[in-house]
Amino acid sequence: MDNNLTSKLKYREAKLGYLMILPLLTVVLVFIILPVMGTFWISLHRDVTFIPEKPFVGLRNYLRVLSAREFWYSTFVTVSFSFVSVSLETILGLSFALILNERLKGRGVLRAIVLIPWAVPTIISARTWELMYNYSYGLFNWILSILGVSPVNWLGTPISAFFAIVIADVWKTTPFMTLLLLAGLQAIPQDLYEAALIDGASMFERFKSITLPLLKPVLIVALILRTIDALRVFDIIYVLTGGGPGGATTSISLLAFNYYNLGDYGIGSAISILTFVLVLSFTIVYLKVGRFRRD
Amino acid sequence: MREEVLKRILLIIGAILMAIICLFPFIWMIVVSFAEDPTFLGSPLVEYKSTLENYVRVLSDPTLHFPAYLKNSIIIASLVTLTTVSISSLAAYAVSRIEFKGRLLIPIFVLGLSMFPQISLVGYLFKFIEKLGWVNTYQALYFPYVAWTLPLSLWILLSYFSQLPKDLDEAAMIDGASRIKTLTTIILPLSAPALFSTALLVFIAAFNEFMFALLFTTDHRARTVPVGIALFQGVHGEIPWGSVMAASVISTIPLVIMALLFQKYIVSGLTAGALKGE
Repeated sequence: MDNNLTSKLKYREAKLGYLMILPLLTVVLVFIILPVMGTFWISLHRDVTFIPEKPFVGLRNYLRVLSAREFWYSTFVTVSFSFVSVSLETILGLSFALILNERLKGRGVLRAIVLIPWAVPTIISARTWELMYNYSYGLFNWILSILGVSPVNWLGTPISAFFAIVIADVWKTTPFMTLLLLAGLQAIPQDLYEAALIDGASMFERFKSITLPLLKPVLIVALILRTIDALRVFDIIYVLTGGGPGGATTSISLLAFNYYNLGDYGIGSAISILTFVLVLSFTIVYLKVGRFRRD
Repeated sequence: MREEVLKRILLIIGAILMAIICLFPFIWMIVVSFAEDPTFLGSPLVEYKSTLENYVRVLSDPTLHFPAYLKNSIIIASLVTLTTVSISSLAAYAVSRIEFKGRLLIPIFVLGLSMFPQISLVGYLFKFIEKLGWVNTYQALYFPYVAWTLPLSLWILLSYFSQLPKDLDEAAMIDGASRIKTLTTIILPLSAPALFSTALLVFIAAFNEFMFALLFTTDHRARTVPVGIALFQGVHGEIPWGSVMAASVISTIPLVIMALLFQKYIVSGLTAGALKGE
């Protein structure tokens, strides 16, 4: 009798539990899972807007994409962008976090200031950088002219456009890294440093043998999150260079987007799915390397 | 002691550099937004004169539609925030408190979702939204945004709810309160800081979104601020920089003020959302 009652109650509880996660699952299913599966399905068809038939072509779209130079070039651009951008951001973010972790007058104000780039919407910060990079009346060429250096066409050559994008992105995303690493730094017990000081360890030695190892778990999480984000870069490139000059800064997301714009959904979808595969493989590598080092 | 002095000097130089790096583009945006002629730096003949002209133009020029974009952005982001926080509160409560099969898979499943690049959704999503006749409507952005912001929101609330002692619920239930009543009268009020930081992060994420908004809107009926600002163009194709920067300042200042005022909540939300998984 009693047993029966508890199992009935448990059943009712479980039912309520499912009911409470139902809205979440529904929205996520219809607007994330279904679209990803749908995109995969489209990628298996020759699907061009202006042609009514959409024949099933299996993996042919993938073969076409994988044998095209522009895809590998975009992959190269995306991976190098992610590598350079995340590295710079980690170095800068760690420096900022170390500064903010010290007892310093005005630390509260500094902590607030570091949030500003994060709070400025990506498109707006991209527009501001675009203006600062402007050839004839941008801030940077103005500074160069004061120094007596001839102006640079920042967004006009492949290499300088690449770095222009990287710098704008690093500005925007460093605060996130700083905040995560600062949280990590604050979790390190202070007495470790005191003990090291008594042992006569130098500033650098303390950093190398206490700060870095204890920060590693947070650092790996932060690197994964930022890399996942950098590999799907779109907004900032769309505004700053539109992928130019001559396709030199086209990331994979932008390449897929361009195909959608042309009405070629089959190829666009195949590139989109490959973007996901790239993100996934990087995450797996990070997790493997991270665990391997911790053991 | 010499090391201490050196460290102090390095620290102060570092702090000043850090402030400059973080602030200068933002300040530049403001400077240009008040400039009578944004080309003032290019030519020695044009000097900097400040004016409110850019602000007046961006708010009143009917061809720019900026007030409409702002209204769309605020309405969509607010509705998304409300929905996402409600849906994820329910789910986070269920996962942290109620025994049911598969509940521990939910957070992992949802976290996995946040790994999908946005571009991998749009191929199908665009066709789907077109078929529903939703292009240029709020719902074209509302539903994808809710889905897109749920993982972060669920993650923050889950990490917070799990810290609250379970005795609270039990005491309430012994007093005869239902699960829903316990959630609304005990757990949610106690979680005010977490709800608040989640709401801020969701609002900012929804306000910022670009790719969906670019694809699912073609005119001012549902177009949002980021798309509007990205596509601002003068009559002859040149970019009206004064207007663009004025529009940028108008849309950024409220976000920056929010970020500064509620710094603590934002930081705790971001770190809880990001570091829970380690």
